[in-house]
Amino acid sequence: MKKPFFYAGPFSAWVPLGRTLYEGIEIELAESTFNILKGASGCGKSTLLQQIVGMKPGTKGAKRILDGKEFDQSMLPEWRSKVTIMMQDAPLLSGTVRENLAFPFRLKNAGGRAFHWAEALRLMHETGLGHVKSEQDAGMLSGGERHRLALVRALLWSPAVILADEPLAGLDEAMAERCLALLKEYSSRPGKAVLCVLHNLDYPKATGRTFKLP
Amino acid sequence: MQNFTFLEPIDLLIATVLVVAAGTISVLLRLGLERSLAIAATRCVLQLGMVGLVLEKIFGIDHPLPVLAWLAVMIALAGKEAVKRARWNYRGITLDAVITMTFSAMIVGAIVTQAVIRVRPWYNPQYVIPLLGMILGNSLNGISLCLDRFTDHITSRTSEIELLLAFGATRSEAMAEPLQTAVKTGMIPIINNMSVAGIVSLPGMMTGQILAGAPPIQAVGYQIVVMFMIAAANALGSMSIASLASRRLMEPYGRLRLDRLNKSKGPRIGKGAMAGRKSHTDR
Repeated sequence: MKKPFFYAGPFSAWVPLGRTLYEGIEIELAESTFNILKGASGCGKSTLLQQIVGMKPGTKGAKRILDGKEFDQSMLPEWRSKVTIMMQDAPLLSGTVRENLAFPFRLKNAGGRAFHWAEALRLMHETGLGHVKSEQDAGMLSGGERHRLALVRALLWSPAVILADEPLAGLDEAMAERCLALLKEYSSRPGKAVLCVLHNLDYPKATGRTFKLP
Repeated sequence: MQNFTFLEPIDLLIATVLVVAAGTISVLLRLGLERSLAIAATRCVLQLGMVGLVLEKIFGIDHPLPVLAWLAVMIALAGKEAVKRARWNYRGITLDAVITMTFSAMIVGAIVTQAVIRVRPWYNPQYVIPLLGMILGNSLNGISLCLDRFTDHITSRTSEIELLLAFGATRSEAMAEPLQTAVKTGMIPIINNMSVAGIVSLPGMMTGQILAGAPPIQAVGYQIVVMFMIAAANALGSMSIASLASRRLMEPYGRLRLDRLNKSKGPRIGKGAMAGRKSHTDR
């Protein structure tokens, strides 16, 4: 059998009073695919994404495989540089917009990736952030702008897999469609895949393999 | 020490008038501090009296063991005191503080007593105990400020740390900023103190030596050594406590363990800051 491009699991999660959210969940993604993670509110979608990158507990015995290579716990930082999560609240570093886009490229795990401002500008234009100045304080951005900046950063960073936790939150319909199209185009490239939690599944472009949490 | 004036018990009794005067002010202004003042004054007399007796014994024995034992007691107490003021604590925080104190006090203490002052014999308690006491007393403040800043940073700016981790930052990369700000905070008091030494404040040790009859230039020399020694101890202590704390509060593979932090009971920080300020003048 052909090995999957991406595999992570099994993961289980419990809420403090002992109720099981989910048990033994495994995620397999094929190369160049767009995938959707579905489930009722509070069913643990964000938790699962964070477990995949090892930032939440409940991952004992879990395996993480990308492109045939297994990453054990000690390799988690390297794994996260290849399987990068876009967190739900689109966090920012305190500093300028440019700093917020460029910081990953200075990390040890950047692995030769270089920051190109021209490419950043192109993506900012595409996501309607053309008016944002590079030296502007990122803390002044609106909620929707933060989410788009987070998307620009993830696309620039160009990891093998993007785990996007509600990346379209706070965007109007037209902008959400545009950003979704960017993510879908990204996922279709060779050596890439996207797993996306979407709050609203009514977007016509929101199609792909769907994982459903109980 | 040709000008040294010995104090008799009667002199101390006269000095008691001063603290009674403070108590009277409290009564007159209805501050309600008489009780605390009386307890504090009594504790001060008992603690200092006991320390005096122990030191007299240690000075009389002329053997390194009692000196080292006394240093160990000082380190343990200083370690406990340093973490008492932190807003957040975690399991093993006292051990971390004691390790830090031992590490910074021993390195700096050894350099000052053995290479700078060249104390003979090496354990001579007349020098070793007060010098180490000053190192510990001051790095205690640095360490407690540093710890407080560190835990404050990682609890209030968690999302920034997680953002770094999300892009593959290693533990040391993700913890670099909290560590830097914390060590900086731990260092500020001694930097301030060095810059105003002699102008705004006459440091305690120098004052003490002059009172004991030492020539002022000698007293100044000792004071400079003491300031530098405290600066080094604060830098080493802050760096070491922040690195130890960062190891406890983040897994090696980069997962924050804020679940290991507990909020300390009671508003300690105001008290800590005040106490910090007070003992900085004792240098």
